[in-house]
Amino acid sequence: MLSRTAANLYWTGRYMERADFLARLLDATARLSGLPTTYGGDPTAWSGALAAAGAADAFALTHGEPTEAAVIHFLTADAENPSAICTCIEHARSNARAVRTGLTREAWEALNAAWHEVQRRRAQDLTTNDVREFTEAVQRSVAGFDGAAQRTMLRDDAYWFLQLGAAVERADNTARLLDVKYHLLLPRDEPVGGSLDYFQWSTILRTVSALTAYRWVYRDVVKPWLVADLLIFNDRMPRSLACCYETVVELLDFLGAGTGRRGPAHRQASQIQLQLRESDIKAVFASGLHEFIERFIVDNNRLGLAIAEQFAF
Amino acid sequence: MRIRIRHATSYTYDTPAYGVIQALRVSPSDHEGQLVLNWRVDVDVDGFLREGRDAFGNTLHIFYAEGAVNRLTVRVTGEVEVRETAGVVRGAPEPFPPGVFLRRTPLTDADAALADWAASLPTGDPLTRLHHLMEALGGRMTFHPGATQVDTSAAEAFAQGHGVCQDYAHIFIAAARRMGLPARYVSGHLCRPDGGEQDAAHAWAEAYIPELGWTGFDPVNAVCPDQTYLRVATGLDYLDAAPLRGARRGGGEEHLTVAVLARQSVRQRQD
Repeated sequence: MLSRTAANLYWTGRYMERADFLARLLDATARLSGLPTTYGGDPTAWSGALAAAGAADAFALTHGEPTEAAVIHFLTADAENPSAICTCIEHARSNARAVRTGLTREAWEALNAAWHEVQRRRAQDLTTNDVREFTEAVQRSVAGFDGAAQRTMLRDDAYWFLQLGAAVERADNTARLLDVKYHLLLPRDEPVGGSLDYFQWSTILRTVSALTAYRWVYRDVVKPWLVADLLIFNDRMPRSLACCYETVVELLDFLGAGTGRRGPAHRQASQIQLQLRESDIKAVFASGLHEFIERFIVDNNRLGLAIAEQFAF
Repeated sequence: MRIRIRHATSYTYDTPAYGVIQALRVSPSDHEGQLVLNWRVDVDVDGFLREGRDAFGNTLHIFYAEGAVNRLTVRVTGEVEVRETAGVVRGAPEPFPPGVFLRRTPLTDADAALADWAASLPTGDPLTRLHHLMEALGGRMTFHPGATQVDTSAAEAFAQGHGVCQDYAHIFIAAARRMGLPARYVSGHLCRPDGGEQDAAHAWAEAYIPELGWTGFDPVNAVCPDQTYLRVATGLDYLDAAPLRGARRGGGEEHLTVAVLARQSVRQRQD
């Protein structure tokens, strides 16, 4: 496979995953900000969403106050924002179109339909009331594309690069969400259970679609350190850092299986995988959750560079 | 018992080494008494890592390093579930009939002293004789790391009266073959209760008993392997089952460090 083709597929996977994450983030934020302040509503919810999307600086440059309407527009439809949902789907589509023959007809059509869907909706001005409808449509479109790819694509390099991009991006998204919300997850001495905290934590879980998973795994009320444990170390939770890295290493092994070639991406990925396997949430809290997450984000970016180096993107 | 293995073998070369090739027999196979849950071999330099099987049915990875390297670390991690089978190994890949393991090799050839000693042991059915052999060997030898090298033969170690697990296994194999019983070398890991870091893996022997099949004997500890023994590779002697064997061009002096950690795996549960 040409490196250029591999790069296009990898980035298609990444951009679709990012669009999905942004949709979840917006949905969860809209819920949180909709609550009355006394009942856990958070006036800083929208700036938090910007930070988790990694778009706070870009927003500050072009806009002023992070008001609800401005943030929603910025994260969904703003053509100036490289990580708006519309831009992500646009990038995913142009990457996929460059390797149209690398995808099956179903996968391409699902992606193209997703693009048409957001194009149609970006014209409308979204308010909190219909942001929900928009985010649902985006999540549905991404799930449609994933499903079409999963059901129809040959299990070879093309499929693996697509999945690899998605897994790397997913790890980055979960880590950035944790980075913004880490102060809420630190264990505290005072009794937990305040309504503000409860809604904040369940917002985090909802952003990664893990509220039900949490209850299955822990059978307990929402406790912050368990939320952190689920999102970092639970390898059965598809958006956890551990699960993403199990997937990344497996995909790199598949990609190398034909030739046996081992390169910088293998080294970086298996090193992070080992760190995640060897550690646990107690050790992370002891050495600093914030530092751990920051280091993970840097390491994950290095993996992105190592993949680009190994496959000559 | 669930055993978790983590071992790292690092080579450093005084000058860059070219054309480094390593044959790694570090991956266990499934048989009735053990189930590999996950296993991973990683190398820290660019190159090609290919998996295959050797003649004895062991999983064999061959690693070819790309270009010149100053150092090389092979890291192996994995988890295996091991059951107590009283040392009897069933369901392992067995490409050869047991008779092959009567063959003598330079490392396991008995000299006159070793042969006489083997002949002096009490007779009986094969299982009893092998147990006598295992016990007598423990009385005859003292465990002494550093007294022997990797190329010390069974006869030499027997004459010295001390050695490490490799020498014990070689002597056991040499004596068993003299008794007409097929025997082979096993390299693997022993999960000790203290679970500390070790600077070497373990090795023991297996002998073929017609009624039982291949059965393990660990002469160092004078026991048959139980659920704390993880079996990795087998062969006629150490050279067939050695975890790492390599070749290179240049590189000057080679320095080797090994760190092995074998311990009971604890499935972490948060409260």
